[in-house]
Amino acid sequence: MKEMKLSFDPYNLIIAGVGGQGNVLASRVVGNMLSRKGFTVTIGETFGGSQRGGSVMSHLRVSSESSFSPQIPKGRAHLVLGLEPAETIRVLAAYGNPDVLALCNLRPIHPVQVISGELDYPDLEDAKGWVKELSRKAWFLNATDTALEMGLPILGNIIMIGAMAALGELPLEREDFERAVSLTMPTDRISINLEAFDRGREMVEAA
Amino acid sequence: MSHLLTDEPGSRILLMGNEAIARGALEAGVNVAAGYPGTPSSEIIETLSKVARDRGLYVEWSANEKVAMEVAAAASFAGLRSLCVMKQNGVNVGSDFLLHLGLTGTRGGMVLVPCDDPGALSSINEGESRQFARLLELPLLEPGDFQELKDMIVWAFQLSEEIRNLVFVRSVTRLSHASGNVVLGPLPGETRKARFKHRGFILDEMEGVVASMPMEYRHRRQQEKLKQAVERFESSPFNTYTGPEHPELVVITSSACHLYSREAIHLLGVEDRVGLLKLGTTFPLPPVFMEKHLGLTDRFLVVEEVIPFLEENVKILAQELAPRIGPKTIMGKRDGRLPTVGELNPDLVVEALASLVEVPYESAPEAYVKRGQELMFFGAPNRELTFCPGCPHRASFWSIHNALELDGRDGFVCGDIGCYTLAVLPTGFSTLKTLHAMGSGTGVASGFGKLGRFGMDQPVVSVCGDSTFFHAAMPALINAIHHGSDITMVVLDNSGTAMTGFQPHPGLDVDALGHKAPAISIEDVCRSLGAQVRVCDPFDLETTQATLLELLDRAGVKVLILRQICGLSPEKKRHKKYEVAVNPEVCLGEACGCNRLCTRIFRCPGLIWDKRAGKARVDEVICTGCGVCASICPEGAIEKVENREVTG
Amino acid sequence: MRIFGPNELKADVQDKGLCVGCGACVNLCPYFKNHQGKTVMLFPCTLEKGRCHAYCPKTEVDYTELSQARWKRPYDASPLGTHDGVVMARAGEGRVEGRVQAGGTVSALTAFALREGMIEEAVLTNREGLVPVPQMVGDETGIYGCATSKYTAAPTLSEVNRAAREGIRNVGVVATPCQATALALMRENPLDREDFVDPVSLVIGLFCTWALDTRKLIPFLESRVDVSRIQWMDIPPPPAEVFVLDLGNEEIQIPLDEIRALVPRGCLLCPDMTSEWADVSVGVLEGEPEWNTLIVRTEKGRALVDKAVEAGSIVVKEMPAANLEHLRTAALNKKKRAVARAREENLLNNTDEGERAAFRMDPSVVEELTGS
Repeated sequence: MKEMKLSFDPYNLIIAGVGGQGNVLASRVVGNMLSRKGFTVTIGETFGGSQRGGSVMSHLRVSSESSFSPQIPKGRAHLVLGLEPAETIRVLAAYGNPDVLALCNLRPIHPVQVISGELDYPDLEDAKGWVKELSRKAWFLNATDTALEMGLPILGNIIMIGAMAALGELPLEREDFERAVSLTMPTDRISINLEAFDRGREMVEAA
Repeated sequence: MSHLLTDEPGSRILLMGNEAIARGALEAGVNVAAGYPGTPSSEIIETLSKVARDRGLYVEWSANEKVAMEVAAAASFAGLRSLCVMKQNGVNVGSDFLLHLGLTGTRGGMVLVPCDDPGALSSINEGESRQFARLLELPLLEPGDFQELKDMIVWAFQLSEEIRNLVFVRSVTRLSHASGNVVLGPLPGETRKARFKHRGFILDEMEGVVASMPMEYRHRRQQEKLKQAVERFESSPFNTYTGPEHPELVVITSSACHLYSREAIHLLGVEDRVGLLKLGTTFPLPPVFMEKHLGLTDRFLVVEEVIPFLEENVKILAQELAPRIGPKTIMGKRDGRLPTVGELNPDLVVEALASLVEVPYESAPEAYVKRGQELMFFGAPNRELTFCPGCPHRASFWSIHNALELDGRDGFVCGDIGCYTLAVLPTGFSTLKTLHAMGSGTGVASGFGKLGRFGMDQPVVSVCGDSTFFHAAMPALINAIHHGSDITMVVLDNSGTAMTGFQPHPGLDVDALGHKAPAISIEDVCRSLGAQVRVCDPFDLETTQATLLELLDRAGVKVLILRQICGLSPEKKRHKKYEVAVNPEVCLGEACGCNRLCTRIFRCPGLIWDKRAGKARVDEVICTGCGVCASICPEGAIEKVENREVTG
Repeated sequence: MRIFGPNELKADVQDKGLCVGCGACVNLCPYFKNHQGKTVMLFPCTLEKGRCHAYCPKTEVDYTELSQARWKRPYDASPLGTHDGVVMARAGEGRVEGRVQAGGTVSALTAFALREGMIEEAVLTNREGLVPVPQMVGDETGIYGCATSKYTAAPTLSEVNRAAREGIRNVGVVATPCQATALALMRENPLDREDFVDPVSLVIGLFCTWALDTRKLIPFLESRVDVSRIQWMDIPPPPAEVFVLDLGNEEIQIPLDEIRALVPRGCLLCPDMTSEWADVSVGVLEGEPEWNTLIVRTEKGRALVDKAVEAGSIVVKEMPAANLEHLRTAALNKKKRAVARAREENLLNNTDEGERAAFRMDPSVVEELTGS
């Protein structure tokens, strides 16, 4: 096992999205990648009733020492991986701080009250500005669009994981990902997932 | 092979809390596991059912929690080890049996795992199963981290066989649904043989009659067993103290709150001032262990969720010990430092603790927090819960709502627990007007349906899911039929216990082990009971509405089964039945004649409102292609084309 | 005319129990539906102005304005409204098949209009059991299937709206006074919609003192007779004062006083007995059970009647003066009762914000009708 240093211990990562978006699966993949490297990983998440179109968060605590609360304290996130723009803002507002980093998928999922006209969804340019304002550095990706080009919208999450790996904030190597997917996915899905991972990496490097 | 079967003692893997519980049961050599699905408990039985064949287990999803307890108890009576699992409400359902079981005792080890849901993250109540341990006089264990979720199960089985009675191991959502690293223990090699011995002396607990009589004798025995458990608790490895030798304050805690408390002490940097007394055996508290630690200081803060259960038990003990340890100040919920409603988190514990140790704390700079709140207001519109795209319930409630409105007699719907609970919200057109326990919709409706003699002339409808039908709605239906109540019961049959992840139930032709099982037909049951029965596809809105209107006009008990598989089911996810699109040339948008019926009222997340264009639009990522919206559009602007190929 | 939206319609008409279920608001949109004679709003609609409100004969109907638009003259509350003649009429020999009410003039005129191509379809009212249902027919057989009075308020106009949506034109409608009022409102294109097309080319109005609420009538009759045996219903002209049910082998008479309790409140606010906004209006004739009263109002109505007489489809005679006077008195009395009631309920000529009227008439006309 490689000797790895974390920039913070515990390193607090939040994956934020909307019920049904694949939040849980994304947090499992990342958690498994890090656990297999020898880190102690704690993942806290909410599903069940709150999955039905509600806001969903996975809290990941990565430590070389011990397990932590499955809920990250307010204001203590180091990195927010937002699978949806409004959710990125929501999580930054509660768990962010001036040093937090944000990686945001730009594809909106409209809440029903926006669909119905009772509430407004922010203009995307405004949303980007606000994510930037609430973070030290922010990256924006059209991960869902790329995933749609690849033929499977759910790959958007893998693109986001690939992009997160490229930030170098957490020790997430391509071979860790390869091992994680080969253990959890059917064989015929492995190569497309690896491609999505690489696309995410490229998108961040190009950004 | 499932990672749960990893047979490498000492290896460390990332497990979800519920998987850790299941692994604990495997390491304890469990033979039989039974439960009823309910968030956050479902993955325990689910995980065990997947390894049942490999480990030679019998696993079932029982018709309800009481039956699950009875099934598990039978295994214990036959000398096997058994596990019984449910969410908090399930303990209420089975508590009548537990009251007797406590008196009769168990033989093979039997562990009951209730998973509570403080804050009701996926429930409609935050009921407490801890109270049952006190009420039923049975020992209660509460794991405080992921490792303990596994280890305590093994320990609980041993304890159960020592005292020959049921042991509670209580989990909560934030442990069951969280994941953490767990060091594995060995998996046992041998299995047990089942034999129920009943020819022994009547009072022989291992070979006599398993009955709660003679009551006084059995009750006394039960209390002796509880004392025996307390003796074991005195040396339990799950009760620990960490902190200074002479702390200013000691936090007494258990369960997930242990992790919050530890974090709170760390965040405030008061490790050298504040001690942490983590209790794993919370009922009854071990008095010797407690005396030692209550003697550490004079001030205590009890950190636990919802009701002050631990706090009260500590206070009782402290009062008894007062002559030896002196008076203590025990803070927590009764003095209002911590809320008695909702779940806790590190921040709430920090807040309570910071004022006691007089250490200032801010989560993030004040200006950042303030700006965050502002931006959340503009940038993060609230996400009200909704039925999923393609959900049959949306279509069902559309028809129920419309039929009741057309009927025009101010009719209403009585409901209960399941995804369809959301019909109290606009996603179900706010159709549900009473909401209680499993099966209660039909029971309450049965009562309403008898109020005609008092002048009530409103039609009464009840809804229940297919799983709920077998769980608790059947007795209510029988009651309504027997008493000639005028109700229309709608069974929302989505072919599985959908809310909790498609666990099988008696209406399906498969069991928890994946074996073929006789499916019990809901319509046959209802017909044989004497109800007037109809079956419709809820996606056929017109027929469903017409059928409902017809049934509402009739007297007696009518049952309408609305059958359509859940939109999240694997078979539905594999195949998008229709490609759906809005023809912008035809869409009326906000004009008189439509005014956005689809987006403003029907509100499927797959259809969004393009404000700029003033037209509805399908979100191709979200839409599951059920095609129902095409039949609600008054202009025929929503077009569907059947998809022949199977995608994915 | 002040036009509001569905919320005002619901508040002013449905919630106040004034809806007579004429169907004018049904089939314009997905929100208003009629089921078993009752119009309901399924979901809230947020529009500030809607056709539902504009077409409704119970919301803010300005008789002065409507009269100006339709007749190019002010509304003066003359008992029979604008007309060009009143005669006795009945169907011509051999033209009546099946059962009709009184002289069968309505069916005969409708059939003639269809035959002559004056209309292509006729929107009539049929019944399923005791529930009145609108029906569009294109031939004589269909017409006679719908003949005989229903006495219950019927959502006939929902079928006109459906026809308009489906591009059907040149429709004739047999309408009660409230329905004829709604049709008159409708035909003015009150929302100035560019896509507006008037599908109606002929309105044959019916005389009506009041209709019965279907939802009340059904249980009322069910508690007295086996309703499946009812073959037809009749209210013979005064002074009979009974509601007659023909059960085939037996006839049952119910005193009208018992029946009046089943009249929707909205009918009590109606000032129109003779369908004043129709092309022709037809009703019973006192003392002559085999004849109808026929009022001709428009040029189109005149042409229809003249041609029908010429072709022998109907037969007409001069109306005796005494009958005409009785008719005028009855029609005027209905106006007086409606205006008095509207004023009493604060639903007449309201001007204040938020206080909306059921109808408006020139104050001088009101004065004439109330005698104050």
